[in-house]
This record gives sequence, structure tokens and C-alpha cells, in this order.
Amino acid sequence: MKGLSMAAYSTELPIRPDLDQAHAEVASRWSTTGSWWSGVERLAIVEEVRHARDSDDIAPWESPTAIAGLISDDHALPDAAIDAIWRITNHPGTLTAEWHASILGRGIHPEAYVEMVGVVAQANAVDRFADALDLDRVELPIPSTSEPEQTGDASLEVTSHWVPTAKIKGPNVLKALSAVPFENETLSILSSAQYVRLGDLLSDLVSKQNSLSRLQVEVIAARTSKLNECFY
Amino acid sequence: MSQDSQVSFEAIDNSESGDGGVEHGALLSRLCEAIFNEDQDQLASVKDKLLDAAGVDVLIDAVAVSANFYMMTRIADSTGTPLDAGTVEPSAKIRELVGVNSFTSRREAQT
Repeated sequence: MKGLSMAAYSTELPIRPDLDQAHAEVASRWSTTGSWWSGVERLAIVEEVRHARDSDDIAPWESPTAIAGLISDDHALPDAAIDAIWRITNHPGTLTAEWHASILGRGIHPEAYVEMVGVVAQANAVDRFADALDLDRVELPIPSTSEPEQTGDASLEVTSHWVPTAKIKGPNVLKALSAVPFENETLSILSSAQYVRLGDLLSDLVSKQNSLSRLQVEVIAARTSKLNECFY
Repeated sequence: MSQDSQVSFEAIDNSESGDGGVEHGALLSRLCEAIFNEDQDQLASVKDKLLDAAGVDVLIDAVAVSANFYMMTRIADSTGTPLDAGTVEPSAKIRELVGVNSFTSRREAQT
């Protein structure tokens, strides 16, 4: 494992420097202790995303923690988190409010769930990029062992989403992780390099986004979203 | 998002119905499918075609955009994010055309 932020990929492919840097920075952020999970736990989340992706598929309603030998007994994460990671990674289109409530009912704090979702989602993006281009997945840094503060924010409320959100303006998808600002920042780092700078999301519909036209970008975004059965 | 030419939504629904007025639309749609299917042969074939047609920068940027939406979809669907109230009506026709209204993940903001 690396302790410093270095290039994410070693390849002949001409990966844009800002994109490579974004992936390296996000990997570094995974290893940082967050609001609810330690650096060790956050990297365990990333590693479990990889485990879920690389294993034989199981049905959405099956718990990997209930399958003998699939999950190690000394895992750093609670069973509820592991089951959530697998289902979010492999079957995101099947998630329901009842399922979310069941995960919280097994002991995951609502804001800890949000932080976990952030890391799971980021790892899915970064690793899919590497896998599709036959690159080695980004190396995971040495994690922080400091303990998270785990201080809830009383100003957060469950209003439009299943999860508590902050009172911020903007599209609902940008409110989704607002309970954990660090993860919203990471979302912005990745989206700006991989997609469109968030400030240009609704205003710049005509200029080229790197080598793609905005129309091409949106076709790819929409096709990918449909394949993942995402209504939003 | 249409400019001078007519844009339709075939390439969002599948890769078999043409470009939909978007340059390399069908190939880009096929790339998304290959990434999703994790079929190495399919992925190698479509990457070669896209490289020939559009070049390596387009390939890399297209993969990056697709990867981004593995993140965005999971954020939206893990947190119960509803469709924004102001987009429900304007998106109705498109949603019908591309066939997403039956998804489990359908959630609309209460107005």
C-alpha cells in the first residue's frame, strides 16, 4: 500500500492528468478516517465492493454474510454493512425504502449509511473505469487508524429522501450525500473529472466536454443509467 | 439539448436502432452495454471499433462518463433520491420513449 498520493495508473493510454489525479485523490480520501467510519473501515468498504464485483453473482435478496465461507469471520465491517455493499454494488435497481430501513434496523446509523453509500458508489466508478480499459485497479493507500468522531448533526432531516439531508439547494441527487459533506466533496471531484463540472451541469449544454460533445456525454450517461435500471 | 440537427433517443434505449442524431451514438451505446455486461470479448470488439471511428481520447472519456454513472445511479438508488419536481412533467415523454417508468427505482418528488 502507498502512503502518498501518486499517479493512479501506470499505462501507455493517454489518460487526462486531471482524471488520473482525481482517481488518485479519491483513493487517498478513502483511506482517511471519515465522520462515521475509520480509514481502515473505509478501505474495507472499498475492498468489499471489489469482492462483490469479482465473486459469482448472488440474487439481490441473498445476504453474502449468510453464505458459508463467502465472508471472512474477522471482517472489519458489521454484517449489515457487508450485505448493503453487495446489494448496492450488484443490484442497485432493486433497492427499496423497506430494504433501507432493514439495514438501519440492523444497527447502521443513518448518517453512517450515507457515508458508506458514498464510498461504495465512488469505488464502483473508479474500478469500472480501470476494468473497462484493462488497467490495474487503483492501489489502496495506507489507511488512517484514528477513530471517527461519530457526532450526529441535529440540523439534518429526513424529508425528500430516505436518508437525512442538509438544507441545501440544487438537484435532489446532489442533496443525497449532504449529510456527510466530505462525501459530497468527493462526488464533486470525481464528477468534474469524469463527467461535467457541476457548475456547468445545467448551464453548458453545447460545448465539448474534453473529446466528447455534450450530446455524446448525455447519451452515455443515460444509457448507463438505464442499464443500471436507475429511474432518476 | 438539440442543436442544428434533430436528436432522438434511440441510442439511450439500445444500440441497435441507430445513432439518434448523435455522432457515434450507436457505438457509444454499445460501449456502455459491453461495460455493463462485463463481457471481455464484446468489450474488446467495441473498443477497437470506437478507436477506429473516433480515437483513443473519445474512448477514454466515454469510459469515464459511463463509470461516473455507476456512481450516480448507486447514490440515487441507495438514498431514495426522488426525481426533482420540476423535471417530472418535462421528462414524461422521454421517460416513456426510453422505457424507465416501470423501474423499481421510480420515485417522484411530492409537489
